[in-house]
Amino acid sequence: MSTDNPVLTVTDLEVHYGARRRRRQALNGVSLEVGRGEVVGLIGETGSGKSTFARAVLGLVPFSRGQVLIDGEDVTGHSQRKWRELRRRGVIQYVFQDPLRSLDPDATIEDSLVEPLLIRGDSRADAVARIRPLLSRVHLDDELLPRLPGELSGGQRQRVAVARALVTEPALIILDEPVSALDSANRVGVLEILKELRSAEVSLVFISHDLGSVAGVADRIAVMYQGQLVENGPARDVITAPQHVYTRLLIGSAPTLRSAAANRSERAALRALLHA
Amino acid sequence: MTRRVFALGTGRLAVGILVFIGLLAVLGPYLAPHDPLASSTTTLAGSSWKHWLGTDYLGRDVSSRLLAGSRTSVLGSVEVALVALVVGVVPGLLSVYLGRVFEWTSLRLADTLIALPFLVFAVAVTALLGNGITQAMLVVGVLVSPLFFRVSRAATLAVARSQYVEAALISGASIGWVVRRHVWVKVLPAIAVALAQTIGVGFIVVSSLSFLGIGVQPPAPTWGGLLASDLNYLHFQPYAPIAPAALIMATVWGCNLLADAIRDVSGENGRALVNTRKARANGARLLPVESRTG
Repeated sequence: MSTDNPVLTVTDLEVHYGARRRRRQALNGVSLEVGRGEVVGLIGETGSGKSTFARAVLGLVPFSRGQVLIDGEDVTGHSQRKWRELRRRGVIQYVFQDPLRSLDPDATIEDSLVEPLLIRGDSRADAVARIRPLLSRVHLDDELLPRLPGELSGGQRQRVAVARALVTEPALIILDEPVSALDSANRVGVLEILKELRSAEVSLVFISHDLGSVAGVADRIAVMYQGQLVENGPARDVITAPQHVYTRLLIGSAPTLRSAAANRSERAALRALLHA
Repeated sequence: MTRRVFALGTGRLAVGILVFIGLLAVLGPYLAPHDPLASSTTTLAGSSWKHWLGTDYLGRDVSSRLLAGSRTSVLGSVEVALVALVVGVVPGLLSVYLGRVFEWTSLRLADTLIALPFLVFAVAVTALLGNGITQAMLVVGVLVSPLFFRVSRAATLAVARSQYVEAALISGASIGWVVRRHVWVKVLPAIAVALAQTIGVGFIVVSSLSFLGIGVQPPAPTWGGLLASDLNYLHFQPYAPIAPAALIMATVWGCNLLADAIRDVSGENGRALVNTRKARANGARLLPVESRTG
């Protein structure tokens, strides 16, 4: 978990959407470093820029300022071709929020799992051999391979998506709200798998609007608010001693089994402070 | 895909019909018992051992004319469909991927083709390339191609913006890969339906063009041409149009059945359908497949 050879280094990233008068800033000077094997939780509300951050790092959204290093390679100003070469090496992978939409409904689970390997140029036989051991890592049965995504449960589908991200043995996986579309039982299952991945060599950026699901998995938590990174520190510190008002509000708003109504006035005070 | 089509009863029936029509097209001219162009004095005769389907207004043997005309008719309509397919589908797929200039140009070209007056264009091209069935069908094919262009473009657009295509791109897929692996399967059923429809239209067009002296020249028989001339002698031979009409209908029906079968078995629903039938045949108790939104 050293940071001297980071997997991802983002410096002063700025992203704008729209043109001319409708131009607005989605990311404002975001800097973040992800060490090898580190799990970083990226928290923020809808529209705070979490997904934009992920899409910019993946090269899906152009950024207007800043620098991005992926596994030591400077991808700032990469052409489409250079991006494709980088992606084919499978260094960085991405897991979407909704596995039903990110898996081709007409392709079998096996087809979806081997796809990144086939794109890379592996033979079908090699690719199939590689995905088998992965299935047990995400607690899936071999039987599911000839099925279609529509024939699986939501939790199984998301585990397939995680397995698909793992097939190229990436250095970094960005997971965009990987458990938000799942029911609580499946959510726990997928979170367990992510925890188990921590022992592997892979770094994770776990994007969520829900502090609760990130808290148990992440080594470090970064909080985004209105396109800016407002807090970034070890998970325990961020949860027990939040520095920024927004983080305190976020923690105060996390639903607990005990009624959350007790500290409603405290949250109202924090909200007033935030908007001031 | 082929195996799944054969798993459906309608798929087998469709292929059976089309194979029969295909055999007629290949062997028909050799099977004709009489010279299809030889006229005789026995005009408008009823069915007999010598003339199975009787004779027409010039005393020509109808069954021979049907058999001899099968090749021209089938080849003509297949040519229309293939030309339309190639001219329409390829730019339809590419218009989504090759950038704005190509997209705009191909769209305006398709609009222009739709707006072109059919007959004027056909006459102009036959004047340019010479009169013949191939040239005429080329014209028809090009004029029908906007249908294929629109259908394939619409299907491609729906897939191109999907998350699984984005997921493939994130893994470093090229446009060619995305089209082969993800787009083609979704576009195929729509194209199959358009293709079946076009083959049907082709039959009608082959005959209506011969009316105008474009394409097939009058003494040469086609199914559509037979139907047209039979209609003029309806009060002498009310049953005469039945034979050519039945052949045209069978072909169009076979194409439509096949298109339906392809649509039914493609995609998730199709697989479920075939699997369900198999399971039922094996006597399995069926549990509902989990809904896609689940």
